Order: sequence, then C-alpha cells, then structure tokens
Amino acid sequence: MLGFLLRRLGDVIPTFFGVTILVFLMIHLIPSDPIQMRAGERSIDPERYAELQKEYGFDRPLVVQYFDYLGGVLQGDLGESFVTKRPVIEEFATLFPATIELSIAGILFAVIIGLPLGVIAAINRGKWLDHLTMSLSLTGYSMPIFWWALLLIMFFSTTLGWTPVSGRLSIMYYIEPTTGFMLIDTLISDEKGAFISALRHLILPTIALGTIPMAVIARMTRSSMLEVLGEEYIRVARAKGLAPMRVIMVHALRNALIPVITVIGLQVGVLFAGAILTETIFSWPGIGKWIVEALNRRDYPTIQGGILMIAFVVMGVNLLVDLMYGVINPRIRHKR
Amino acid sequence: MALLEVKNLTVEFGSEDRPFRAVDNVSYSVDRGEVLGIVGESGSGKSVSSLAVMGLIDFPGRVTADSLTFDGQDLLTMSPGKRRAITGKDIGMIFQDPMSALNPCFTVEAQIMEALKVHEGGSKKERRERTLDLLNQVGIPDPKSRMTAYPHQLSGGMSQRIVIAMAIACNPRLLIADEPTTALDVTIQAQIIDLLLKLQDDSDMALILITHDLALVSEAADRIQVMYAGQLFESGPADSIFAAPRHPYTQALLEALPERSEGHDRLRTIPGVVPGQYDRPAGCLLAPRCRYANDRCVAERPDVGAYNGRDVRCFYPLDDRGQPTGQTTGETV
Amino acid sequence: MTNQNTQSSTPETAAAEVVAVEDQKINPPSPFMETWNYFRKNRGAYVGLIVICFILFMAAFAQWIAPFDPIAQDRTAFLKPPIWMEGADPRYILGTDAVGRDILSRLIHGAQLSVTIGVFVVIISMIAGIVLGLVAGYFRGWIEVGIMRMMDTMLALPSLIMAMAIVAILGPGLENAMLAIAIVQLPHYVRLSRASVVSELNKEYVIASQIAGAGHMRQMFVNILPNCMAPLIVQGTLGISSAILDAAALGFLGLGAQPPLPEWGTMLAEAREFVGSAWWVITFPGLCILVTVLAFNLMGDGLRDALDPKMKR
Repeated sequence: MLGFLLRRLGDVIPTFFGVTILVFLMIHLIPSDPIQMRAGERSIDPERYAELQKEYGFDRPLVVQYFDYLGGVLQGDLGESFVTKRPVIEEFATLFPATIELSIAGILFAVIIGLPLGVIAAINRGKWLDHLTMSLSLTGYSMPIFWWALLLIMFFSTTLGWTPVSGRLSIMYYIEPTTGFMLIDTLISDEKGAFISALRHLILPTIALGTIPMAVIARMTRSSMLEVLGEEYIRVARAKGLAPMRVIMVHALRNALIPVITVIGLQVGVLFAGAILTETIFSWPGIGKWIVEALNRRDYPTIQGGILMIAFVVMGVNLLVDLMYGVINPRIRHKR
Repeated sequence: MALLEVKNLTVEFGSEDRPFRAVDNVSYSVDRGEVLGIVGESGSGKSVSSLAVMGLIDFPGRVTADSLTFDGQDLLTMSPGKRRAITGKDIGMIFQDPMSALNPCFTVEAQIMEALKVHEGGSKKERRERTLDLLNQVGIPDPKSRMTAYPHQLSGGMSQRIVIAMAIACNPRLLIADEPTTALDVTIQAQIIDLLLKLQDDSDMALILITHDLALVSEAADRIQVMYAGQLFESGPADSIFAAPRHPYTQALLEALPERSEGHDRLRTIPGVVPGQYDRPAGCLLAPRCRYANDRCVAERPDVGAYNGRDVRCFYPLDDRGQPTGQTTGETV
Repeated sequence: MTNQNTQSSTPETAAAEVVAVEDQKINPPSPFMETWNYFRKNRGAYVGLIVICFILFMAAFAQWIAPFDPIAQDRTAFLKPPIWMEGADPRYILGTDAVGRDILSRLIHGAQLSVTIGVFVVIISMIAGIVLGLVAGYFRGWIEVGIMRMMDTMLALPSLIMAMAIVAILGPGLENAMLAIAIVQLPHYVRLSRASVVSELNKEYVIASQIAGAGHMRQMFVNILPNCMAPLIVQGTLGISSAILDAAALGFLGLGAQPPLPEWGTMLAEAREFVGSAWWVITFPGLCILVTVLAFNLMGDGLRDALDPKMKR
C-alpha cells in the first residue's frame, strides 16, 4: 500500500511542475504584455513602464522569473488581483466554499441518481427499462448544461415559481459566513427559514451541474455491472441460496463499484468545468463565476491563480480517488 | 423414495420459435448416499441440467419438466424464497473454475460465514467456529490464518477446497460437483476427488459428479449416465457400463481411454464434434459420428428404451460382444 | 452470413441479395462491409447517422435553404413567437429574436458554423496528435517522456478551463476558440496513437519490414498507422461532439464566436435575458446543440461497438 502511494505521488509531482510552468507561461504568451494590458487604452510613458517592469520583475530572465513564481506559489502567494488589489489566494479562499458546496451537491445528485439507474439498466439488460435509462443517460451526457440550466430556470422558476432564479440565499436574510458553506451557516444561525431558502437556491444549480456526471456514472455502472454479473462468483453466490437483492447489492455491486469509483473521481474535472457555466447562469458566487469575470476584465493574476488552484484541486482529488481505489480493491491493497 | 427425482427435464435457450435445446427430456434420480456420475463431452448439456436443478437458469433460458422433486418437494412449483431455502442448504454445488468462483472482494471467512448466516443463523462466534471446523475438514493447512485471506492470495487447489467448504457448510444432503477438477493441476485433481468422496462417505450425502473424464467416474460413481448433445444416451450401474457398454457412443468413449488403447499406436478418437445450435441432425444426434449408423439412424430419432437392465437411446443397442443388435451389416452406411 | 437465411419480400432486394451472397462466396466481406453490417444493426447509431446526414445537408446548403439572411434585422418584428403561437408573424416560422432576426435562418446557418468547428477542430487536433503520438511511441526514450508528461499536464486541467485559458491568451473569437479546443483535445489523440504504436511495434510484421529496410517514416506512417486507425476514428467522432459542445460553451461565455455570427452558443448568450419572457429564443438553439451532439455521440458509440473486435459476437 505504501509503495502504491509513493508510486502515485511520483506520477503527480511532474504534473504539478508542468501545471505551474503552463500557468506561468500564460502571462508571457499574451501578444501584448501585462503592463500594457493593465494600463488599458491609455498610453503609458516609457519611464513609468520601466519602473513597473522592475517592480513586477519582468526585466529578469524567464527562468529566474519562473522560480520566483514557483517559490511564491509554494508559499501560497499567487499574486494580487489587478482589479481588487487583494491577494488572489484570499479571494479564492473566500469563494471556494461556495463552489465546493455546489460541487458536492452535484456529485451527490449524480451518484444517488446515476448509480441506481446503472444497476437497474444492467439487471434489465435488453428490456425496455434498459433502453429507456440508457437513452436518458446518453441525452444527459450530450446536454449543453448552460442551456439545460436556462430550461430549468424557465420551467421551475419563471413558469412554476417553485425555485429562485439565482444567488445562494434570499436577500431577506443576512448570514455572517463562518464556514462559508451556506447550508451549514444557515443551519447554525438563528434566522428562521434561512436554511430552507439556501436549500431552495441550491436545487436547480445542483441538477444542472450533476446531469453530465450522472449520465457518465449511469453508463459506467451499467457496463461494469454487466461484466460482473457474468462472473462465476455471482453464480456461486446464488448457489448459496442468497436472495437476489443480496447477490446484486453485495456481491455484484461491490465488485462493479471498483471502476465506477475511478469514473466518479474523474468527474471532478467535469464538475469544475460545469461550475463555470452553472455559476455564471445562477449568479452563484463561486470560483467559476470569479474566473469568468476575471477573464472579461483581463485580470491576469486572478485567471492564473484560479486555473492553478483548480488544477491542484483536480490533481488532489484524483490522488484521493486512487487511494480509495486501493482501499476498496483488496488486490491492490495487498500488493507490495 | 429417491432424494432427487428428475423427469423429462428440458432447458431451452433462444427465441420461442427457434429454440435451442441445451437439455432435451432428461430423466434421472439420485438416492441418499449414492454417487451418480454424469459423463459427456463439452456441450452435452451436463452442466446446464445441474444448473436447472439448482434453479440458476436465467431469463432467456426456459426450464420445463414433468417433475423435479427433492425429498418429495416439488422444486418447480414452490415459491422462489422457499426454493432458495433449499438451495445452498440441502443442495450444494461446486463449480469448475475455483479461481473465479470466489468473490475477490471478500475474505474466505466472510464468504463461508455468509452461507451459514443465511441458512442457519446463530451467533457470529458460532459461525466462525463452524467455519474453522469446515476448513479443517476440507484439509486446509493452518486454517486460522487462511480465514482472513482474500481469494487472490490462494492457489487453485486451495480455492477449490474453500469452495467445497462453502458448499458443504450447511451439511447438504446432495452435493453437485460440476467438473470440480478440470481447472486444477493433475497432481491436485486426485486429492480433490478423494476429499469429495471422503466427505460423501462420512455424511452419507448424495453426490452428483459431472465430468468428461470416464476413468474418474469409473472409480468413484455407483451409477453412471452418459449424455450427448443434451440427451441422455445411456444410464446404468457403473461396473456393468464399463464391462459392456450398450450404446455405441459409450463404447467409443471407453475406447478413447488411454488405458484401453494399449497395443495401439494412437489413442482412438471419435471423429467430429457435438452438434451445436444450427447443425443438429434430423435423426439420431450421434448419426454423423456413429460408426454403426444406417439410413434409419439418419432419418429417425430414437427414444430411450430399456435394454438388459439399462436405459439406452439407440435403435440397435450393443450386445455383450460390442456388436449392434437387430441390424444386418449390409445396412451400415 | 445471416442474409442467406432471411427470405426477402421484394424481388429487387432478393436479386441484390443473391448477388451479394455470390460475391461473398468468392471473397470474404471487406473489412468496411463487415463493420458496416455491425454498425447497421445498432439502431441508435443508425438514427445518429441519419441525423448527421440531415445536419450536413443543412450546413452545406444553408444559403439556399434558409428563408432569410441570418443577420438581417426586421425592425417591424421584434421577439415574434413561432407561428403556432398567438401574435406570430407568419413569415417567421420559429419566430424572431430581440433585434428582429429570423431564428430558423440563424439556426440553419448555425449548423454550418458548428459542423465547420467540429470537423476542423478534429482534423487539426487529430493530425497533430497522431504525429506526436507516433513519434512518442516509435522513438521512445526522452522524447516520449517529454511529450507524454506535457499531455498529462494538459489533462490535469478540465477541458473547458484549459480552453478558456488559451482563449484568454489568444483573445476571444471563433478562430481562436477553435484553436483552443483543438489544443485541448490533443492529449486524447496522442495517448491513443502512442498506445497503439507501442502495442503494434512488437508485432512481427513491423520487425519484418524493418529487416527489409523500411525507414522511420515508412514504418510510422505506412506500416503502423493504418493498424491504429480504428480507435482514432471512434475518438474522432466523439471529438466532434465535444468540440461542438465546448465551442458553444465558449460562445455562451462570450469567448467564442462573436455576435452577430449565428453560432448556437452565442445565440443562447444573447437570448439569456429573455429567460422569463421569450422561451423560443432560448429553446431552439439549445435543442440544436443537443440534437447534434447526441447524434455524433450515438454514432461514436455505434462505431466503437462495430470496430471493437471484443464486442463482436
């Protein structure tokens, strides 16, 4: 297990450096340079330009600048936003919980709906229920979620009036952020009804964000289940006289989950990409909306920092999933 | 009364209008404490018929029988729950490939205890003790440390012993062993068979031994039945079948044994293969491969008939000299 | 050879079948025909193919099919609903948008844009990816390590975010968005072709050809490449659908095609504010994206099943 862990870490480290190089180079690949960018339409006098270049260290060799940057990153310094002048890492930390809250809700939705759909399809292989669930999941997989989100708003918010259109909480409430997770913050606050409001705000973004991962999980679960159901040990389990439910839920699902777990882990990237669109549409104050705004304002330190942090989170979660894979699959756990 | 009574068991796969009969009107019975050997080539329906007895044939497959009774209870009409209470408790089964018969996600202990829990209940401690007994009984060295092992940590022979322990956990009255040694090393095969026979003898359990190895059943079985392409070809007491086969197929199988080929340069073989779904002959299923087949064999399908105390499916059963009866040599094709 | 058993109803098809059967007696079915037969049995893939043909037709003849100029504005008809609704203008079948442009015409021209995006992105990405993958798999050593590490790094970022980063560097616009998506898709083709090359490289025919004196170029492109094409074709088909989806997402975020281009994602971005008032400006462009992407995914799935020898019964 330890060897397995070290091997995985060994794979991650080059990727870590790769990502930092990529993000670092980003700002140097822009056709016009960042100082000019910041000055915007106004022209800048050469003296002030040289001064600024020195201040940002743009006059030194690229390699030196990179290691400077890397040193900063390792100490948690991602630079300062051009727009708000606040450290990027600080802004990230404030907004990140909102994205995590949405992502967790999204992946829960995806697993809770997708896993049973896949199992049902596999058990009813070739029957209409199988065709129906698989058609649905392929449609979900092909869904442009920015459109899906608009449809959901159109139907549930503007037509039926069941759910709010945007934001995390009704303006009737003010909640001092303690954990940053609105559901938790509202629950521990004294404001009555705030929790329900937060929950109602979460529903549509969750569905929009969770649809694609749900479809992927359903498809993967089905094919994995089908493979496992054909195994001899399933027949043996049935020969023991176990109830069909137990055979499916314990003997088949446990084995079928092994590849599904990996797929769930890979959905983290999909979730972040989806969060960008979902947050923009639902005015959800998270990382996605923040990066889109930074892009529109050409706030390069924020773009760089945001992308870097997303890459780190994705890499971290993938590592975690690999470790979980080791726990669930005894064949890996015992390999030395 | 017989322990297991199978009358005209048929198992079909495929579409309703063009079904494939994997098992075709097979009847047999097993008594308490008896060892029945079922012999046949691959694709002869011997495994499928035993899966049908276990109730393990799934949706596209259809099982029909005039009667299928275990200890006087009708297995076909009883509720699925009641049937499951018999499967795994009173009837145990051992499968061909031990390496894939154990669930890779659970320990040996968990898998054996599961069978005990479902059928006998009891405290966890009792189940654990019983499991340890079972591992001892099937000859696992150092059973305590094997209890928590995962299947991938075991050898093939060891796995098969675990599978056997699992099958006999609830003291079944009938054990079905489907080619229990095929996937094992030759050196292990004899050990496993000896173990099975010892367990059978100790507990007066009935044993159905399914195999393609005639030599094996000749030593182990009380009675033998020979199957071919889903049909019963011959059945009778083991010694007499070996002394004087009545069906040309049995005769050919015996001649193919190495110990009967002494003096020949090569082993005798049976030309051709068992017919599949699309190439079933219209007449006797063996006709294309039978050395005695004549026009009648090609055109008509024979029924099972009694001959000299045996059940034989042949128009011209063999006499004691191994020659077909009631057939003039000129008729042979 | 199942068609020998089936009795056909019309004499024409029967005759055709006899010919086909006779052909097969002389030659075994060509690999293309074999794949096609598997593909045809997959109903979903077949439907996908028909839809794709329809979209291609729309795209190719957009100028003639579309009733109006996609960017012409009719100041007398703002936000007119589709013709089956009350208050509709009978000239505009699917209604008009906020500045009086015919939605149907914009959708038809949008098909042209989306198909172009999908095809170009996949062609660029596939060619570059195959070359990199072949080089990595063929030469091994530090070249391989370098290329594959770079691809791993790119895969660490979610595709849309990576594409956004590239557009941030290049600047918004349709061409830049296409380039960005092509770069984002690169790692898939590189990985696939490298893996195939590595497995092909040890086969006897490659070694035999090497002994016969084939050069690196000939080995890579003439001997090995054709044998790795099956998974690449599948990936390419699925790549078209994800390219269309990503391009629409970038357009929606204002980073892809710019107004007044009738790109479906851009149309949705312009229509966003009417979420509570004019359902048609939102529903139709998104539906077009969904149907197109679904069709390519269906076909990709079908192709994978048809080309994957493991799946063949």
